Amino acid sequence: MSEFSVTAIGRDRPGIVAAVSEVLLEAGGNIEDSRMAILRGHFAVMLIVDLPGEASSEGLASALESVRERLGLEAVSVSPVETLDAEDAAPSHVLTVYGADRPGIVHGVAALLAERGVNITDLETRVTGAADPVYVMVIELALRGLPGDELESELGRVADELEVDVSLRPLEAEAL
Amino acid sequence: MSVREILLYPDRRLKQIAAPAQAGEIDAIATDLVDTMSSLGHCVGIAAPQLGLMSRVVAVDVSSHPKAATSSGLLVLANPRITEREGSEVGREGCLSLPDVTANVRRAARVVVEHAAGLVECEGFEARCVLHELDHLDGILFLDRVESLTEDVFRRRNYASGGEAQSRSPEGVPRDSNSPGSAASEPERTG
Repeated sequence: MSEFSVTAIGRDRPGIVAAVSEVLLEAGGNIEDSRMAILRGHFAVMLIVDLPGEASSEGLASALESVRERLGLEAVSVSPVETLDAEDAAPSHVLTVYGADRPGIVHGVAALLAERGVNITDLETRVTGAADPVYVMVIELALRGLPGDELESELGRVADELEVDVSLRPLEAEAL
Repeated sequence: MSVREILLYPDRRLKQIAAPAQAGEIDAIATDLVDTMSSLGHCVGIAAPQLGLMSRVVAVDVSSHPKAATSSGLLVLANPRITEREGSEVGREGCLSLPDVTANVRRAARVVVEHAAGLVECEGFEARCVLHELDHLDGILFLDRVESLTEDVFRRRNYASGGEAQSRSPEGVPRDSNSPGSAASEPERTG
């Protein structure tokens, strides 16, 4: 078995998942992890598919290209990927950032996290439709040994520079 | 009728800590809160800072809300202080000061609140609303208490241990046992 990443983006409409999954099924593939969502009116697809034998990305790419044309998708991309340990990185904290919308918020925060070796495991941003748009970013992260209060004070400094509000909280452990 | 305008984030007053309410001003503030709340169809709660009044007074009324299993009727709480909290549930919240945004928030399932006119015990949806409004008095918005990005269904197996709450809020997130929270399908328009 070999694994491939498939990504696609297109103006949202019913039928995209059905069409993409049909191609993958016909190729004998098994969709493993995936994340799909509407971003600003475009449906974005990200998935890892397991294909039998010596499957090639060219075959898959050309089958998906017909889907792209038929549905008017903006882009489709296929790449072979290394089979990795499926164990998810465990996040330890959730970080919320919000403020008046302006360029630089994602980079400002992400650069600090990278500098401190903090790993982002999940990230989502939204801009609200209000007259004065508000930018909201929620990030799950793994601090990997960095003390939370140290990160919090550095985040505070970046927050002041970016004129946003931040909140860092540990994720609750599962109660059994 | 003193209906006032609700402040919208990023108005900085929404991130400030409100001052203790003085006896002489409570009635006037309460009137503004109740009048404004009533004028807005589905509003179940409102805090003075949302009207630009930096005083520790909130109003909550979940009595006609379908999600409220219990209700204390119209509550006006001046200088409220949580004396007991128990349990925890995740539910979807919204806020009039942050239109178009909703998030899953974990709140205590039951609280006892001491305030200028006595004591009140709230649970479930009413407790959620009261806690949401009390947060406003400390400049805390529901976004500061987002539970997690991924829905409960796809929770990762092991969250690494956290340590103390690191948010800038004076109170930490309730650390009681995790009851299987039913994420409400519709966001609550608390104030």
